[in-house]
Amino acid sequence: MSTTTTASPNEAKLWGGGKSPFNSEYGKVMMWYFLMSDAFTFGAFLISYGTVRFSTNGWPNSNEVFRSFPFAPDGVHAPLVFVSIMTFILIISSVTMVLAVHAGKNMDKKGVVRNMIWTIIGGLAFLSCQAWEWNHLHSEGAWWGMNPFLNADGTASSTNFTNFFFTITGFHGFHVFSGVVINIIMLIMTLLDKFEQRGHYLMIEKAGLYWHFVDLVWVFVFTIFYLL
Amino acid sequence: MSHSHTDQEAHNKEAMAEIKKVTIILSVFTVIELLLGFWMMGMTSVGLKLAVKGTIVILMMAKAFYIVAYFMHLKHEVKNLIMTIVVPLMLFLWFIGAFLWDGNSFRNLRNDYDPYFKEQATIKVEKKEGEHGAAKQEAAEVKEIAAPAEKH
Amino acid sequence: MSHEAALHNHEGHGHDDHGDHEHHDTFLTKYVFSQDHKMIAKQFLITGMVWAVLGGLMSVLFRLQLGYPDASFPWLESILGKWAKGGQITPEAYYALVTTHGTVLVFFVLTAGLSGTFANFLIPLQIGARDMASPFLNMLSYWFFFTASIVMLSSLFVETGPFSGGWTAYPPLSALHDASPGSKSGMDLWIIAMALFVVSSLLGGLNYIATILNMRTKGMSMTRLPLTIWALFFTAVLGVLSFPVLLSGMILLIFDRNFGTSFYLSDIYVNGVGALSNEGGSAILFQHLFWFLGHPEVYIILLPAMGMVSEIMSVNSRKPIFGYMAMLGSLFAIAILAFLVWAHHMFVTGLNPFLGSVFVLLTLLIAVPSAIKVFNWLTTLWRGNIRFTPGMLFAIGFVSLFISGGLTGIWLGNAALDIYLHDSYFVVAHFHIVMGVASMFGMFAGVYHWFPKMYGRYLNNTLGYIHFWITIAGAYMIFWPMHYQGLAGMPRRYFDFSIWESFKQFAELNRFISTVAMIVFAVQILFLINFFYSIFKGRKVTVQNPWESNTLEWTTPIRPGHGNWPGEIPEVHRWPYDYGKDGHDFIPQTTPVGADETGTH
Repeated sequence: MSTTTTASPNEAKLWGGGKSPFNSEYGKVMMWYFLMSDAFTFGAFLISYGTVRFSTNGWPNSNEVFRSFPFAPDGVHAPLVFVSIMTFILIISSVTMVLAVHAGKNMDKKGVVRNMIWTIIGGLAFLSCQAWEWNHLHSEGAWWGMNPFLNADGTASSTNFTNFFFTITGFHGFHVFSGVVINIIMLIMTLLDKFEQRGHYLMIEKAGLYWHFVDLVWVFVFTIFYLL
Repeated sequence: MSHSHTDQEAHNKEAMAEIKKVTIILSVFTVIELLLGFWMMGMTSVGLKLAVKGTIVILMMAKAFYIVAYFMHLKHEVKNLIMTIVVPLMLFLWFIGAFLWDGNSFRNLRNDYDPYFKEQATIKVEKKEGEHGAAKQEAAEVKEIAAPAEKH
Repeated sequence: MSHEAALHNHEGHGHDDHGDHEHHDTFLTKYVFSQDHKMIAKQFLITGMVWAVLGGLMSVLFRLQLGYPDASFPWLESILGKWAKGGQITPEAYYALVTTHGTVLVFFVLTAGLSGTFANFLIPLQIGARDMASPFLNMLSYWFFFTASIVMLSSLFVETGPFSGGWTAYPPLSALHDASPGSKSGMDLWIIAMALFVVSSLLGGLNYIATILNMRTKGMSMTRLPLTIWALFFTAVLGVLSFPVLLSGMILLIFDRNFGTSFYLSDIYVNGVGALSNEGGSAILFQHLFWFLGHPEVYIILLPAMGMVSEIMSVNSRKPIFGYMAMLGSLFAIAILAFLVWAHHMFVTGLNPFLGSVFVLLTLLIAVPSAIKVFNWLTTLWRGNIRFTPGMLFAIGFVSLFISGGLTGIWLGNAALDIYLHDSYFVVAHFHIVMGVASMFGMFAGVYHWFPKMYGRYLNNTLGYIHFWITIAGAYMIFWPMHYQGLAGMPRRYFDFSIWESFKQFAELNRFISTVAMIVFAVQILFLINFFYSIFKGRKVTVQNPWESNTLEWTTPIRPGHGNWPGEIPEVHRWPYDYGKDGHDFIPQTTPVGADETGTH
């Protein structure tokens, strides 16, 4: 029943107490497990969506629902275009966030500030797009409990299509919103030299984890609602 | 740590190259997904449609992998941290499998024993001028009720 | 590099100044908004005890109805008012009592009260940390729980009464306002309370995990952790991964209740006319989501008790725990399996029978790690030099209850049997013994064992023995007959059995069960008196290590201050179960390994 012999000396030292076995401070460990837990929240939503879709006979065709574009003249249908713009906005803001974290590791305050500003702009742009899309769908008569769209085969559709769409994109939008708020706080703290005084930009890294998670969730939401 | 300046610079360059690479991969995957989505629109073959959807799911998982591994930096963490993240995620396999299986079974159950439910799936709703007839009618009603919505 | 500096300083994080000097605490920061893990643990314990009394009282009230369905008790009307018109509990009140009893005991007592108390108290003390990773989030965790408690409590006083559709809150009873009186604002408050509770358990759980991983003292490798810590670790993992699913389910339920959606509403007909404006969802979906939490929840309740029992048993048998690694492996196996078996609660719900058979298989697998644990406890006791302290008695009682309740679990895990036994008193007996009473025993064992560390005084032993013997005898007398009733077909959740000819024969047995329940409840009051009296007037602890135990919490001063150890945190050199080794009765973890020692762990 010897327990320490199996581990290599280096690993044994990591797990031997007095040091984080993951080589990261507790805040980051906590953030990771928080994200795990949040993954289960989103997972439960998306799996519920799948379950209801599997237990329903027909389902609307997403290409006929999400086909409008801001400022497009009436009758012009462009399925997938608008949402692909939203997706790219989020991917790019994720990239700028990585750059901000990277700059933080090099203690490059200017780089952090610049990239954080871009990330915040990206987040706000995404939220604006979502607001426009929600508003447009609402003007078409879609809302919680109201589904103006027909199933792909022309039969009447249950309201669950819109129910899940607004709930899940709303919950994701709420995460984006809180991510933007966190990023703004991080930006202010950077500008006030808080992290310079602490000697490290670990907070930016944790905010970054959260922001990437938001992007990650969108990868799933985007695919499941708009493509499948 | 005892990194010299050149070491640091080399490391920086490497990291930037990685970020660039992952950005390109994510963009390419998204574009492929979109192309598949467009291709699928006019598709009638159920089997082919299913295959395309499967491909899209694989691409989705690949994107998720790149975001988690590189943007969230998980690939460069200690192995044990990776394991504590990945192992619990395995729970999703059964979570998804059992839920969808039972969702499907619930539909079969209702189609077998609930004539009303089955009937609903066969009655086509009449379409007025274009496919969005019902939608526009509803929208008009909503506008009447909610004045603020009129702006748009 | 800056990062490295930050990483290496982590163990001193924020606690450098918590040495031996006391803070200038006001009453408010010391007792109310305390950030000290020991005080937060006591807050959890006492709040949990308040809920235990309320929940127990509710069970006494509905047992009164079940035991004496025809009698009327005028004093009931004076307490319950319109809920007991003419001295008889109304059906609505009966269902509200049953529902609240279940919710409160499962979530507020056996989750928050049990793992909230002992995770907070034991984790920093046993791993050698000054406090939790984030004392602030720890405090928030308690206050979210407290707010949840207040909301739940207030639901008892609304006009239409608290939620009355069972603690599982299945729709449509929970989704439609008009389904029952309790489905109105009582249900809204229930959902809010549960949402707050999820936040609380999330904050707590993240903290426990981060603390156990990151804050261990030097030499405290993961395999030198006491089994309590391992159990609390897996408990926290289960909570962090399963409660969010309940939260999602609750959010969808809120939409169904208030915003015209139909996630859970398939179709309801009244006189052949569809009664819902929205339909097309799946009521089974909620059951899946609920039990995806609900089954891990059972282990969230059970694992801390298992961990504490392992520790207490080893200390009081003066023997190393038998099969430490097997114990650990079975904890891990239980934690994984907990997520894979949820639908065994749903065999009669319309679940796909083939899917059900997979769930049967997975469910029965749990018997393996459970049996490993049971035999390890028994072999730990085997030829031990047992000290029958009240804590030890409760630990042994836990094992006894776990065996008798676990065995009926094997019956219920079989879909074929479960379809017959479902929703009968057999189920009530099973889960009360294996999860309710057994975990309660684990909690009592923990309180008796660690009370000297918590308050620097002992609990009264004589009262402890009375408490134990009456409670264990009572628990068996209450729940053993219920197996019989269930096999005979008596369904649970019925207000009055006297109107059915076939159940009339159980009237006397019901009366017996109710009488015993009241006696057992009275004995718990005795425990409360013992508890609160001993806090102030109990025999003082005069030695640092009263149980002659190996673990780190007994190396602190008798009443540790904020920061736990006045000087340096001790270094750990061995596992915590070196009892009766090389002629030593016990060797604390802080003792360095001697040169002539036989096989170090």
